[in-house]
Amino acid sequence: MNKQEFLRGLRTALSGLPQDDIEERVTFYGEMIDDRIEEGMSEDEAVAGIGTVDEVRAQTIAEIPLQKLVKEKVRPKRALRGWEVVLIVLGFPVWFPLLVAAVAVVLSFYIAAWALIISLWAVEISLWVSVLGAVAVSAVFFAQGNSIPALMMLGAASVAAGLSVFMFFGCAALSGGIIKLTKKAGVGVKSMFIGKENSK
Amino acid sequence: MDVQLKRGLLDVCVLAAIKNEDSYGYKIIKDLKPCIELSESTLYTILKRLECAGMLTVRIVEHDGRLRKYYHITQSGVRRIEEFKDEWKEVISVYRFVTEEDSHE
Repeated sequence: MNKQEFLRGLRTALSGLPQDDIEERVTFYGEMIDDRIEEGMSEDEAVAGIGTVDEVRAQTIAEIPLQKLVKEKVRPKRALRGWEVVLIVLGFPVWFPLLVAAVAVVLSFYIAAWALIISLWAVEISLWVSVLGAVAVSAVFFAQGNSIPALMMLGAASVAAGLSVFMFFGCAALSGGIIKLTKKAGVGVKSMFIGKENSK
Repeated sequence: MDVQLKRGLLDVCVLAAIKNEDSYGYKIIKDLKPCIELSESTLYTILKRLECAGMLTVRIVEHDGRLRKYYHITQSGVRRIEEFKDEWKEVISVYRFVTEEDSHE
C-alpha cells in the first residue's frame, strides 16, 4: 500500500470525526511516513511501519471519549429544512415512545442476564451455608451417639460442597463473560459513530 | 501496567524528549524507543493533550519541500517534569515499603 492509498483509506475510516480533526490526523500520519522514507525506508515499508488503517482507526476510537463522538454525529451536517423540523416535531409522539421502548428492551435483557447471574451466585452461597449446617448437625448427632444419621448428614455436606465447587466455576465464567460483553458493547457503540471498517 | 499510570508516564517521557531541543513526531518515537515503545496514534493523542494543557507549542517548519511540525516545551511543561521527579520520590518510598513487607513474610 502506498502513502496516498493509506491516507485516503484513513480519511474514509475516520469519517464522522470533525473535518479539521481528520485533516490534522492525516497530516500527522503523512509526516510520519515521509520521515520514515527520508531515513531510507521504501514507501511500502514506511506505510507498513505505521500499521493498518483498521488498527489506527481502532486506536483512535479507543482514545476519543464517547461524548465527543456522539456530539459530532448528532450535529447535523447542514441546517435542517423547515419541513424536516415540522416532521420531527409532529412525529414526536411516534418516534419518541418507539425509541424509549427499544432502549428499554435492550436494557431489560441486560438486567435479566445479570439477575440470572446474581441468582446463581445466591444458590452458590446457599450451598455453602447448607454445607456448614449439615456439618454442624452431624457433629451434634455424633455427640449424641447416633452415628448413622451423623454419617448421612456428613455425606449430604460433601455432596453440597462438591456441587458448589462446580457451580463456582460456572458462575465465575458467566460473570466474566458478561463483563467482557459489556466492554465489547461499549466499543461497539463507539464504532457506530465513526467511519467504517475497511473490508479491503 | 495500569492505564492511568502509563498515561502519566508517557506524558512526562514525551516532554523529556523535547526538553533539550525542539523535536518532531518521528524523532520523538525513535528517541523514546530504548525506554518505551510508542505507537503513532498514542503519540498523537499525547501531543494533542499536552498542547491543550499548554505544556508545549507547535511550530510548522518547511523541511525538504514539505512541512514538518516541531514541538517546543513551555515553562509549564518544564514544571511538569520537575513535579514528576518530586512525585517519583514518593513512589519510590512506597515501593520500598511494599517490598520490605514482602521480605518480612
